[in-house]
Amino acid sequence: MVKCTINGIDIEVEAGTSVIEAFKQAGQDIAHYCWHPGLSVAGVCRLCMVEIEGNPRLQIACNTQVAEGMKVTNQSEMVKDAVKWGLDFHLINHPLDCPICDQAGECGLQDQYMHFGKYDPEMALSKVKKHKVVDLGERVVLDSERCILCSRCVRFTEEVSKSNELGIFNRGDRSEIGTFDGMPLNNKYSVNTVDICPVGALTSKDFRFRQRVWFLKDKPSVCTGCSTGCNIDVYFNKDGVWRVKPHHSDVNGYWMCDEGRDIYKAVNPITTDFVGERENKKAVKKPNRILSAHSYHDGKMEFISTAETVSSIELGSFSNPALIVTGQYSNEEYDSILGFWKSKAGGKNIFHWQNQPEQWQDFDGLLIRGDKNPNTKGLLASLEKHGLQAQSQLPSMEGFDFVLVLGPENQWVYDNISQVADQVSQAKKVIWLSACHLEKASQMPKHVTFVPAKTFVEKSGSFTNFEGKVQSFAMVDVFVEEALDLQQVTQWFAGERVTASLAHPWQSVHNEFIHERGEL
Amino acid sequence: MSVVQVKRPQLRSSWYLPAILAGMVFTFITMLKNLFNKKRMPTLNYPEEQYQYSPRFKGNHVLTVKKDGDLRCTACMLCATACPADCISILASEDEDPKVEKFPISYEIDILRCVFCGFCEEACPVDAIRMGPEWQTPGANGDNFIYDIKQLAYRNNLNQGHGVPSVVEDEERHEAGI
Ligand code: SF4
Ligand code: SF4
Ligand code: SF4
Ligand code: SF4
Ligand code: FES
Repeated sequence: MVKCTINGIDIEVEAGTSVIEAFKQAGQDIAHYCWHPGLSVAGVCRLCMVEIEGNPRLQIACNTQVAEGMKVTNQSEMVKDAVKWGLDFHLINHPLDCPICDQAGECGLQDQYMHFGKYDPEMALSKVKKHKVVDLGERVVLDSERCILCSRCVRFTEEVSKSNELGIFNRGDRSEIGTFDGMPLNNKYSVNTVDICPVGALTSKDFRFRQRVWFLKDKPSVCTGCSTGCNIDVYFNKDGVWRVKPHHSDVNGYWMCDEGRDIYKAVNPITTDFVGERENKKAVKKPNRILSAHSYHDGKMEFISTAETVSSIELGSFSNPALIVTGQYSNEEYDSILGFWKSKAGGKNIFHWQNQPEQWQDFDGLLIRGDKNPNTKGLLASLEKHGLQAQSQLPSMEGFDFVLVLGPENQWVYDNISQVADQVSQAKKVIWLSACHLEKASQMPKHVTFVPAKTFVEKSGSFTNFEGKVQSFAMVDVFVEEALDLQQVTQWFAGERVTASLAHPWQSVHNEFIHERGEL
Repeated sequence: MSVVQVKRPQLRSSWYLPAILAGMVFTFITMLKNLFNKKRMPTLNYPEEQYQYSPRFKGNHVLTVKKDGDLRCTACMLCATACPADCISILASEDEDPKVEKFPISYEIDILRCVFCGFCEEACPVDAIRMGPEWQTPGANGDNFIYDIKQLAYRNNLNQGHGVPSVVEDEERHEAGI
């Protein structure tokens, strides 16, 4: 351990720590663009200037290691002046794009300027014009005028995705980010470059112009895209979820894959005027309606099952019931439904519906795993805990008089879903829990009832990832009020009253998050 | 609990007929004055006659247009952010023209919620929304008070439906290197 003094605060850091990391550990603000904790040091933005006692010249904090007894400050006049001029240089050719720039509101330039700049520009010359709206690849758009050439994106493709698509071309103030000819930015982690770009030079095609970020609030959660279980932040407002971004953790570092960015699309009800795959309340209520809104109590909406349906789902009355599970529910849900199944149906006829199990061991070396279920491990553990056996082959369902299907939330990874639907509809009575709209739902026979299930953002619980790490997640918000989680399904089958939360009680306010996101 | 004796006023002061008569006399005199000296009559024969407010009056919004007649608005949503009445809803989209990049496919103001504060006008970075002088805008039902782009920018009394041009011109700004 090395002792040092940061802005007058004495702290001890590990040997080899850079000064900028020591600043972060001491909780001190320091301007920086090119340094990123998940990437190598470049030292190109020259913004992280600090004054080290005994050293006549300013040093960059990101490329200086802490030495014993070092006294560092970034609050001296000399440093402030250097940062101010550094910012001025960065902004010389920067366009006035903030109104149409997706980054506005979470932009490094805006933040640093308000923190460390606030000068009057002294540049009178015209700005250098560069390429705008460049289609870099499947998911990313580049605006080179906004780029401050921090090289984070280049280092990302070099060091993390190892695909080397991006580079800096030309020299001086004509330098631009670009891709080599015929090599679009199409790696499986490309949107991470958008996240780490400190300005609005790289923007995500999927999120572009859909929302201003200050209308959004974020809450942490866990990605359900595969068994890795990347930690994410879910950005949402009353209209739905708009994007997910990686959240730093040991599991995923600072990154997540591009496919995982799409999981939010399963959450949004169809009514929302953008991508949304979910059945909304009206759609769910139409054909095989089993739940009815009963009354409002202290901000909670209560559902009671209609008497007729309850009597027909008395589990004990079926001679041969079956349960089909997928690895897409939380540990707590499995415990509750499997415990119930064990006590009421003797724990027999449990089938584990698997999607391409032959690929489950695949791993691309960074994050993506072949098992596209977030909680296969948790399901197996819960089965073991209750002493139950699950068969992995779905047999012909004709002999069963009742089948409860715990359908997948991310159905697009289940390529055999319509075969299974046909197979299952051979049983006498079927209840199918589905978080998303199922294409085939309208063609299914009358004895198949679809019950809306909660998505991962609408419930709290935990997933066990591929290495057995249990990661808990909290509810983000409710988007479909009628949706049930498995604990509620258990309550419902047990004849108890089911209470569900109302969707966004704050929904009368449009700009509800503005005051949390920053000063206006 | 206590009983309070209320002192009722005397009969004379509650006798209101004299005051009513005085009022009627005043009305009658005013009527005669107006009949014989129409010019000094203090009221207007609305709606045939209308009062002209100053051009700086903050009335119904106008969305300005560019030289080519397209909307000036870039869908930055700063007006919607600033609006205290929360009555502006904008849906942004990507324009085919890369020089425009972002534009509103839908821009609606719920004029019945608007408090005519003018914050939207002040927030707009590109002079795309202004408060116009109009204020007499009746409607038959609630629908008529949700103003869309057609109403806000291209209503008939704005340049015969061609819209009010903005003073800011992108091309000029671009050439000047701003
Ligand atoms: S990168 Fe930041 S400063 Fe530049 S236009 Fe975008 S929001 Fe504005
Ligand atoms: S595009 Fe963004 S991340 Fe890449 S060099 Fe430019 S500013 Fe940095
Ligand atoms: S005048 Fe005020 S209340 Fe009306 S739309 Fe503009 S900002 Fe909103
Ligand atoms: S502030 Fe101006 S440019 Fe921005 S959305 Fe409103 S009217 Fe359009
Ligand atoms: S953060 Fe140190 S030079 Fe950029």
